[in-house]
Amino acid sequence: MNLLDRIEKAKKYINGIYDENIDLAIILGTGLGDLAETIENQIKISYKDIPEFPVSTVSGHKGELIIGDLRGKRVLAFNGRFHYYEGYSMETVTFGVRTAKALGLDKIIVTNAAGGMNPSYHAGELMIITDHINLLGDNPLIGKNYEELGPRFPDMSQAYSRDLIAIAEKAALDLSIHVNKGVYVSVAGPNFETPAELRMLRMIGADAVGMSTVPEVIVANHMGMKVLGISCITDMAVAATLEPVSHEIVLANANRAKNNFLSLVTEIADRI
Amino acid sequence: MDIKIVDESLSCIKKYVNEKIDIGVILGSGLGDLADKIQNKIIVKYEDIPNIPKSTVKGHKGQFVIGDFMGKKVIMMQGRFHYYEGYSMDRITLPVYIMKGLGVSSLIVTNAAGGVNTSFNPGDLMIIKDSINMSFDNPLFGKNDEKIGPRFPDMLGAYSKKLIDIALKASHKLNIKLQQGIYYITTGPCYETPAEIKMIRFLGGDAVGMSTVPEVIAARYLNLEVLGISCITNMAAGILPKPLNHKEVIETSNKVKDKFTSLIENIIALI
Repeated sequence: MNLLDRIEKAKKYINGIYDENIDLAIILGTGLGDLAETIENQIKISYKDIPEFPVSTVSGHKGELIIGDLRGKRVLAFNGRFHYYEGYSMETVTFGVRTAKALGLDKIIVTNAAGGMNPSYHAGELMIITDHINLLGDNPLIGKNYEELGPRFPDMSQAYSRDLIAIAEKAALDLSIHVNKGVYVSVAGPNFETPAELRMLRMIGADAVGMSTVPEVIVANHMGMKVLGISCITDMAVAATLEPVSHEIVLANANRAKNNFLSLVTEIADRI
Repeated sequence: MDIKIVDESLSCIKKYVNEKIDIGVILGSGLGDLADKIQNKIIVKYEDIPNIPKSTVKGHKGQFVIGDFMGKKVIMMQGRFHYYEGYSMDRITLPVYIMKGLGVSSLIVTNAAGGVNTSFNPGDLMIIKDSINMSFDNPLFGKNDEKIGPRFPDMLGAYSKKLIDIALKASHKLNIKLQQGIYYITTGPCYETPAEIKMIRFLGGDAVGMSTVPEVIAARYLNLEVLGISCITNMAAGILPKPLNHKEVIETSNKVKDKFTSLIENIIALI
């Protein structure tokens, strides 16, 4: 079955449960799944029930699609995402975004937990992604291109929508939430970076490092979707002051950032 | 590379070609028309050669053109294979092995590239002085057959000093200004982000593209002399306040076609 057929199958199943207009897609990063609980009038669809959908293997990632209301906007939230390091193909990692677009969505907020490399950041802060560097060593668009989905050579010169960034900044200002703005670099993982690698990533211009987001953003741009990216700085990844980091620390700091994250994303949803 | 694969393809193409070929030319996006100037043409479609994939890129014809050009026996590729099309590095570089088997000793590799160096302009031609392999793959991965080439080929002087001097001589004669720089390969197929272009500049790249490096690695492995020429078809992301598109790439390469053609003619005459 080719990609178009697989997308159609997943779309059909979801439309069988819900087929009204949805305003906004949100991918919830590691530790940020609590946003899902604040969505009202929820319809939950487990990934395992959706034909062609993969199942997430990371703890802290639930694996369900939630359709509901967030401050007056109808949203489609991915509670649990797929990472390259789990061994999935890039096509699988980005399948949810393909499905969202097929359901008629043209705006997506992509969130993640990331290591802060810009020394002016602090763990527990949020960063609006202004641009990214793909160091995954792979690309979700390698292989046959479906012109129905997008062009062979998509432009990436404004991968993160300037309009959405402006809305997010204004929302943060009005809520008195401090946000950073910076460049996100994606690495394959799953090991955390060595100090030498962090120094290199900093030198090439990155402010935060993580293991997700870039594939989804490339695919969203391929299909002409508007993207907003928000990183939750869950640990500081500065080579000179590096301390051992664990998935537990990441989750604890994501938890600390949670309230700001929830208020900000809800406010952004309202204003988009 | 599996020698059996090469032999199978080579014995097939030898049915069409029965003399030694001197020079191979791989023609990049929008630069394929050069092969139309070959005399006593033999055209071999890629689809007629076993193991050669079909080129899926628009503007790539998908054939070898063999014949006489400026007093030399040449084989030119109208259409090449890219990693982003989903092909393995083995398949992408198979034509280089075939050329070697036909007797080729010099390879001219051309491409359309984005200008990273801000002193470049769309329409410039750039001599590739060196390359940075950021394709995250390598055509020499896997078991090595010492009969074909060394396990650890040297990449010092990958781009032949002798051929670069010839190219410069040709450009002086024609009064064409040539840029010189380092070619950086990404997997593509999406264009780079402005943040990636800044990184590439920081790492030393002057031009960025999605081809050439695999073929050059294979060529050096086979001890071919290599000349690389990039046609700067657009400025890379973040340099000019406008989006990038493939149409611009084709339009610019069409504009420089005459300049490109006379340069290659004069280079081949001098080799």
